[in-house]
Amino acid sequence: MLEITDLRARAVGKPILKGIDLAVRPGEVHAIMGPNGSGKSTLANALAGRADVEVTSGDMRLEGASLIGLEPEARAHLGLFLAFQYPVEIPGVSNMEFLKAAVDSRDAALEREAMSAASFVKSAREAAERLQLTPEFLRRGVNAGFSGGEKKRNEILQMLLLEPKLAVLDETDSGLDIDALRTVAKGINAFASETNAVLLITHYQRLLDHIEPDFVHVLLDGRIVETGDKSLARKLEADGYARLA
Amino acid sequence: MTAAERFQERLLDDARISPRYAPWLDRGPSLAALSETPLPEPRSYTWEYSNPNPWYEQNARGTDSRPNAGKVVASGDTRVADFDAADSRERGIIEANLNATIDRRRYPLAAVNDVLLCGGVVIEVPERARGAQIELRDLGGSFERALLIVGAGAEATLVESPAAPTHRVVECLVGTGASLRHLRLQGAADSFEYQLVSTRVEAGASYRFGQYAQGSGMRRNDVHIESAGDGADIGIHGAWHLSGQQHLDTQINVHHRISGGTSRQTVRGVVNDRAKAVFNGRIHIAPHAQRTDAALSAKHMLLARTAQAYAKPELEIYANDVRCAHGATMGEIDGDALFYLRSRGIGEPAARNLLIAGFLEEAMADHGREEARALLSPGSLQPGKLPRPLTRKEVSAFRLPADAYFHEKLS
Ligand SMILES: Nc1ncnc2c1ncn2[C@@H]1O[C@H](COP(=O)(O)OP(=O)(O)O)[C@@H](O)[C@H]1O
Ligand SMILES: [Mg+2]
Repeated sequence: MLEITDLRARAVGKPILKGIDLAVRPGEVHAIMGPNGSGKSTLANALAGRADVEVTSGDMRLEGASLIGLEPEARAHLGLFLAFQYPVEIPGVSNMEFLKAAVDSRDAALEREAMSAASFVKSAREAAERLQLTPEFLRRGVNAGFSGGEKKRNEILQMLLLEPKLAVLDETDSGLDIDALRTVAKGINAFASETNAVLLITHYQRLLDHIEPDFVHVLLDGRIVETGDKSLARKLEADGYARLA
Repeated sequence: MTAAERFQERLLDDARISPRYAPWLDRGPSLAALSETPLPEPRSYTWEYSNPNPWYEQNARGTDSRPNAGKVVASGDTRVADFDAADSRERGIIEANLNATIDRRRYPLAAVNDVLLCGGVVIEVPERARGAQIELRDLGGSFERALLIVGAGAEATLVESPAAPTHRVVECLVGTGASLRHLRLQGAADSFEYQLVSTRVEAGASYRFGQYAQGSGMRRNDVHIESAGDGADIGIHGAWHLSGQQHLDTQINVHHRISGGTSRQTVRGVVNDRAKAVFNGRIHIAPHAQRTDAALSAKHMLLARTAQAYAKPELEIYANDVRCAHGATMGEIDGDALFYLRSRGIGEPAARNLLIAGFLEEAMADHGREEARALLSPGSLQPGKLPRPLTRKEVSAFRLPADAYFHEKLS
């Protein structure tokens, strides 16, 4: 599904990712953990194609296709989805209008038949309900005035509608209370299947109580320094990252 | 001799000949004002970023009169009379009210409009009338005037999309406790235009003005609104989207004369290519206008390095117990928002258009929202393309913006 080899990248001229190797197979859930500033979001942004992250060497392949040099929208059309650590507020654009534009763009790029307005509205409503967002959220501006938790749920809502092959979730658990965390985890578990994969970026192991990862990687100073199963997350919680430094 | 001086001299000379249109109308006060007030020059006060010279040159070539024009569509018991065909009662109304709200020294081009008048209408909405709908079409020539009198307690909607090159002065008198929604759409053009909207809002009355425009060769929109009675409520929404070499200069002057009035101005402008937007939003609060609550929010988005926008809020506050908030910003497309949309698979051009539309959306009043969106959507930005006339159904579909809308947008 995803193959990252010796990925090196700079953010604003500073080397941040210093040689990352990672392979994710269909049906797997991988967790990437690491202290603040270790480069987790930079890795997510490098995958999604953010302009201020400059990949200097290495490769990232999604189902065999290299992402290097592709526009962000082209990566999305290949099946990549990034749930942002800090979702952006866009007041004048309604959530519904935004979701419809995203789904329509995907269908056009994949030469699929466009969804009818009615069936789109129906699936948007259903997805919202699963995340315990009222239909009102679909009418409001994109993330405009949403609480932290509502923004994160809105990210998962988009993931459910877009049905990506690889979902990269950047600290989707932060800022959630325990009920919201459960709701979000339910959404992610419902999404995960044998044909897609999830890369969970998280700071704490809290989310991993609800979503069982197949692998846990520890990112430290732009490198994956340790890989293990879910017990690694517990160990990190108990010992902290300092031991690994 | 400057272009303005030449134009003015000829205007005053020609005025000795009796006018053909509505000869009974006394142009004396306008001529007197013009004989002692210089016309705007390039770079004179309030004309710092707009050159009026092409306007003089264009209009020195003569006026265009269309006496059989479509004029006005009005519903119910609204009374409409052409100045030229006004009976003695209507003449009395016109004489008593025309220019009542216009300071000719401040707006000398409105006085020029009087002198060169080709078509004018007086529209009376009776007291306590409900749901009156008025659409101004072609009022009869290159210099047009409308005088709208909304009687006490009446409720009316006025829609217009002046065709270029028309110089139109619209005066609205909103009576005590009355409410007027006014929607103005201006399509792109290549010509040079001057427009003035001048409105007086009496006690307890409400005026909602939405002005949505593309630009022209030189398009100057002056707006003068007076809060003239306790509790008058004024809401102004303006949005523009300029491209190519278009020019648009909007000067809004909200004058609080009496206590207890509220006013909200929300304008959003998008400027692309080599276009130029000028905005001046003035709030004047007179010494007696205590407890005035006024706010102004003006934001521009520049889409090209060569695009220009000049926006200035101007506050003149002479009362001490007032609330007055204002802000003006200048920005570009938000790169984070653009990346966010693109990461969802929305291509860059579509993502930019969504962000542009979203930005302008903040300045859309509830009335005329669909029309304004259609006018300003990136697809409609071609010179010469005018908005189509509104259907009756669209005219009747307008709703008043809720107060919550204003507060939310300005906070
Ligand atoms: N756009 C940026 N501008 C400046 N510094 C950045 C930018 N993106 C990342 N960095 C820097 O890169 C390092 C890693 O950041 P980040 O990837 O956000 O870490 P994490 O997500 O693990 O907390 C930090 O030192 C951060 O300051
Ligand atoms: Mg991060």
